[in-house]
Amino acid sequence: MNQILTISTAQLLLALVFILIAQASSFIYHLGLNRDITIGTLRTFSQLFLMGYVLTYILKTTNPLLVLSVFMVMVVSAMFIIKGRVKEKQIPYVIPTFLTMLVSYMATAIFVSGLVVGITPWWEPRYFIPAGGMVIGNSMSALAISLERLFRDMRQQKELVEMKLSLGANYREASLDIFRNAVTAGMIPSINAMMGVGLVFIPGMMSGQILAGTDPLIAIRYQIVVMLMLVGSTAVSSVIVMLMVRRRCFGSGEEVLLSPR
Amino acid sequence: MTPLLEIRNLSFAYEGSPALVFDHLNLAVQEGDFILVKGPSGSGKSTMLRLICRLSKPQGGSILFQGNDITSIAPAKLRSLVSYVAQIPQMIDATVAENLLLPFSFAINAAKPKPGDEELKEMLCRFYLTDITLRQSAMKLSIGQKQRLAIMRALLQEPLLLLLDEPTSALDPESASMVFSIMERLNTEDRKTLITVTHIDYKPETVSPLTYNLAHRSLHLAS
Repeated sequence: MNQILTISTAQLLLALVFILIAQASSFIYHLGLNRDITIGTLRTFSQLFLMGYVLTYILKTTNPLLVLSVFMVMVVSAMFIIKGRVKEKQIPYVIPTFLTMLVSYMATAIFVSGLVVGITPWWEPRYFIPAGGMVIGNSMSALAISLERLFRDMRQQKELVEMKLSLGANYREASLDIFRNAVTAGMIPSINAMMGVGLVFIPGMMSGQILAGTDPLIAIRYQIVVMLMLVGSTAVSSVIVMLMVRRRCFGSGEEVLLSPR
Repeated sequence: MTPLLEIRNLSFAYEGSPALVFDHLNLAVQEGDFILVKGPSGSGKSTMLRLICRLSKPQGGSILFQGNDITSIAPAKLRSLVSYVAQIPQMIDATVAENLLLPFSFAINAAKPKPGDEELKEMLCRFYLTDITLRQSAMKLSIGQKQRLAIMRALLQEPLLLLLDEPTSALDPESASMVFSIMERLNTEDRKTLITVTHIDYKPETVSPLTYNLAHRSLHLAS
């Protein structure tokens, strides 16, 4: 019962039928996604296989520096993905975003593995790396959504922001609605996930544990911790990044620096 | 006597453009002045007003307000003293009253006495806005009504200098004439100091403004 069934290479390739369906849909309806689907599939295979080999090695390590290095690589990769999605040239947002991600995700992962799960040492890779990975993956999407929203609204509502500035508002007051909307936009997916979890979908981590033979009642406890961790880390990182990047949208005279595209 | 506003050798170029819009532009404004700046579209009239209230940044020169360099004044403080009304009036999606009281929601104006409904209604009459109510949506007003409301809102924070950017360019002749009349009354009756920029041929009826032409990257006194 507790023994997990392995997936053979042939079975793995059989799953590619789903990709063929997606490719066919894109081809028939001219969605223009064939190239992205192909690249995405190749990356899924190569990145996960690479990760599998790396994790096999990392999970056995007793060197905290190696674990933290892996964590750092994950954060840097997430930053590159955000940079690819948020096409902003005027406002330098990369450094504040990267530093916030590094610090807040590290703090969350340490809190969860060290205090909530209570594993010793706190950097025990079997817990620290998956926890960090989930935090980074989830918050990365939230940050990209929030940043895109912030820059888009700052551009679209430049006249409105300048009107408020002209009436004596400081830059925080003039852009308060834009700031709130940006943070909210990034957080909604995490909050929606809390609403639907267990009803609409079984989360990946819990599914994995159940497939591996863990008692579902233990798996749900881990999953609850993960859901709460994701909402918290998303909120903290989004608020801090938006606060720092919003300031950079204004000059020393609190004038709006973004020009319309 | 220290001018209320003094522009010294101002130079400005748009980002990425080597061509200067202004080069050594100078202007002195005394309290109670009505300054009219004329010039064709694209001559930099709006930019000049934006530089005065720090919505844009100059490449060179300085602007003094009450003898102090504007860069030494906190931006929110400066903009509560020097109020700029843009060419296209902007309203928040709220009632007329909420729009008029918007400046009081900002920290810099929080201590100022907030006008009551009666005071606002009287002001609406003075601004030829008798056909609107305080509780109606500001978004549904005509552009001419919005323009008058925007000027009224800027005045409610009691600035020492009012900057009006092409206040009639988007208006029909009737609304434009109302705005001109308001501007002149603000100067003659309320002793407000105004700088208005316009590209149209406006001849004031009740005031004699100091008129400048903005040409060849500088201001030239026309009257």
